Amino acid sequence: MSGTLLNAVWQGIVILVGGTLLGMIYKGLDRKLAAQMQGRIGPPIRQPFFDVIKLMVKENVVPDHAVGWLYNLMPLLSLASVATLLFYLPLGGFQPLLGGFGDLILILYLLAVPSIAMVLGGFAAGSPLATVGAQREMVMMMAYEFPLAITFLSLGWTLSTFMPGAHVFSLSVLAANPLWGMVGPLGVIGLILLFAALMIVTPAELAKIPFDIPEAETEIAGGILAEYSGRNMAMFYLADAIKMVVMGSLTVALFFPYGLSGLVGLSGAWGSVIDVAFYLVKVFVVIFFAVIVVRVAFARIKIGQAARLFWLPITGISLLGMLLLTLDRFV
Amino acid sequence: MIFGTLIKQLFSKPATNPFPARYMPKSVTALLGKVAAGQAQIHPPVPAPDDLRGKIAYDREKCIGCQLCIRVCPANVIEFLPEDKKIRMYVARCTFCAACVDACPVDALKTTPDFLLADTDRFSENLVVE
Amino acid sequence: MNNQSINLDVGQCAATTYTVPVGPVHPALKEPIRFSFNLDGERIVGVDIKPGFAHRGIEHMGMKRNLVQALYLSERICGICSISHPLAFTQAVENAAGIEVPPRAQYIRTIIGELERVHSHLLWAGVGAHELGFDTLLHLTWNVREKSMDLLEELTGNRVDYAIPIYSGVRRDIPERKAHLAYEALEYYKGLLQDMIDAFLHDKSVEMRTRNVGVLTYEQAVELCAVGPTARASGVKKDVRQDMPYLAYADMNVKAITPEDYGTETIGDVYDMIIVRLLEVAQSIEIIEFCLENLPSGELMSIPKVPALLATLKKASGEGLGRHEAPRGEVIHYVRLEEGVEEPAAWKVKAPTYSNLMAWVPMFLGDEIADVPIIAASIDPCMCCMDRVHLADASGIASERTKEELVKLSREKTRRICG
Repeated sequence: MSGTLLNAVWQGIVILVGGTLLGMIYKGLDRKLAAQMQGRIGPPIRQPFFDVIKLMVKENVVPDHAVGWLYNLMPLLSLASVATLLFYLPLGGFQPLLGGFGDLILILYLLAVPSIAMVLGGFAAGSPLATVGAQREMVMMMAYEFPLAITFLSLGWTLSTFMPGAHVFSLSVLAANPLWGMVGPLGVIGLILLFAALMIVTPAELAKIPFDIPEAETEIAGGILAEYSGRNMAMFYLADAIKMVVMGSLTVALFFPYGLSGLVGLSGAWGSVIDVAFYLVKVFVVIFFAVIVVRVAFARIKIGQAARLFWLPITGISLLGMLLLTLDRFV
Repeated sequence: MIFGTLIKQLFSKPATNPFPARYMPKSVTALLGKVAAGQAQIHPPVPAPDDLRGKIAYDREKCIGCQLCIRVCPANVIEFLPEDKKIRMYVARCTFCAACVDACPVDALKTTPDFLLADTDRFSENLVVE
Repeated sequence: MNNQSINLDVGQCAATTYTVPVGPVHPALKEPIRFSFNLDGERIVGVDIKPGFAHRGIEHMGMKRNLVQALYLSERICGICSISHPLAFTQAVENAAGIEVPPRAQYIRTIIGELERVHSHLLWAGVGAHELGFDTLLHLTWNVREKSMDLLEELTGNRVDYAIPIYSGVRRDIPERKAHLAYEALEYYKGLLQDMIDAFLHDKSVEMRTRNVGVLTYEQAVELCAVGPTARASGVKKDVRQDMPYLAYADMNVKAITPEDYGTETIGDVYDMIIVRLLEVAQSIEIIEFCLENLPSGELMSIPKVPALLATLKKASGEGLGRHEAPRGEVIHYVRLEEGVEEPAAWKVKAPTYSNLMAWVPMFLGDEIADVPIIAASIDPCMCCMDRVHLADASGIASERTKEELVKLSREKTRRICG
């Protein structure tokens, strides 16, 4: 028993370190490619590492009006919750480390925790700019959580009609049984719509342009993060980087869980290597189209416009996807 | 649509003019020596027009010490040296308007295209012309 | 924030607004100014504007220097309008001293002035895009702007602070070998203009952020004496080049551009300001082309020798007014010369932003905090042009005055200036 535990601890450390490094590299790629698309040279890909190191050695300022303990706790909570998320995701085709202890519903809750932490941290900072940012983040959460929940629910429910009795909300079960081959043509359209909804929710979940409204640098000078500095800021930065991997992996696990090893006829260690490499590429493609291209191609929209966008068209798209999947199963 | 431009720029060279070297070398003189010897390459500087109003060149022989340049200089760059009736210019103060060049009756002052004048010492050899 | 302002009265909590300060240092502002916004949720219900952070006493400095030195000082009132201020200043001095300017010099001044409008409007468009969070458009626009900066460098010798006008003429000619560079740049801009219009005016997310945002109605623009593109976007056909032609503008028919010229209804919002500025770039290119084709031959300066010029100016006395339609609106310089003195006896600068400042209030009210950056940027504010006064007590701490006191102080100062 102690051997298994030790093994799990080692795996956990590997996942944590690997996920963090991966997030930072994707962040570097994000900055480099965005710069290239804007006609600039951009920073070197390892720039996020420099940024974190620099933030770590900088002074950790707590404003006079801040609620100190809350203000200092929230970055930690944010980082801890996204790090926990890594244990529930099938990374690189492997089984999730804690797959047996939580499912998609837990992931939905854990995804909300960093946002809540940022809201509380923003209010705790006691600065008017951070307060405006925190209010905006709350509105954003209310806006994008609904289509996100519908997407998760539809997928789980559809799978349950195929496999009654299975633990359909478990991400490993969902990833092992991709729905594309099971449903009919109507269902495929429904899946595409759900995928589109998830892709639009991704930049909002990651607070990237056009949905970086809570941080809105030119409007409220970084909003929630306006007062954060040093170590606290570095933790939010790392949480953001890891969240990018989480959102990418989630999309890949739900919609593209396919591996290459079966196709090229490799198994064992080499098969795993190929699968991991393919997984990295898949996550990158998701991030590229959902985050990098979107953030250079649009202006930041206003909070009212964002809320309207998520409540009407995006919720509409996800509901339509759900309806099509239902029709596909019963008609 | 902007997406076309984005894809085009993704695969084309950035518009930014690069620095001479990609990263700050340990020793600038060593790098320049290597470049002169053909062992290393730097990005060539962006060409400047030959009539750029850069650092002012001073011909000490031609100067007659009339002090007209001192009268028109808006930035108090020029100091008069009474013993030999010549001038001394502190380039760190210069605003590169070249009013002194226009004022000089004997063409002792001229503009040069030299604009890379950043220095940590405002009285360095490069920044005091006499 | 001090303790007082977070002390909410619980009984009136529902009706309480809160205050968000913007500035003097804030990412939305390119230069220091302070706004205090009273917010009801995200909506702005009150705004207090406090200028004066970029006051350098430049008029006072100019009155301590001879006129040739003061000319280069006037150029440094602002880096973006670095031809507008000298153009107005030279005109004022030439009016006061009765100096004639040869036609070729007038055309060259016009060309440089219009080139500045091209680069200033493109700079504004990029800044506006950045305020909207659309950095791609910022980089695209500024990349396009480089062409006009390069041309200015070729024609004048520097990218900013061109040092071209001098009393009685201009200091540099546009020779044949440089004229073709100018034509090249004009062709470049003509080809790109439709792309710019597509990128700004046909982009859905730009339209979402600028349509019906920061509305300044025709009546408000007239009442608040707005100038330049700010007034023209509200449909006020007001342009110094049209109303009181000077330099080469008298030889051509310059018309004030309003959103109607684009074929849309005039609303007076930020979108209309983009329309007006982009169309003015096209107009400037036409003007430059006209000037290059009709460039009269002749001398550059009526008084080419600097000692003779200094002597003429020293002998002159009288007062003069110079007006120029700067990219941001009308700039006015007032100069009074006294015989036997090399320095100007009085120098007063009125920059366009000074007139447009008050237009901010109706534009801000009723809009959201998210609109603050683009509305603040929409009038293309230039604090270093505008800040002519800063009130401080003996220890140097900023102080405040009532309207009545300010009026009294201003009248005293006007009497002092006018002698």
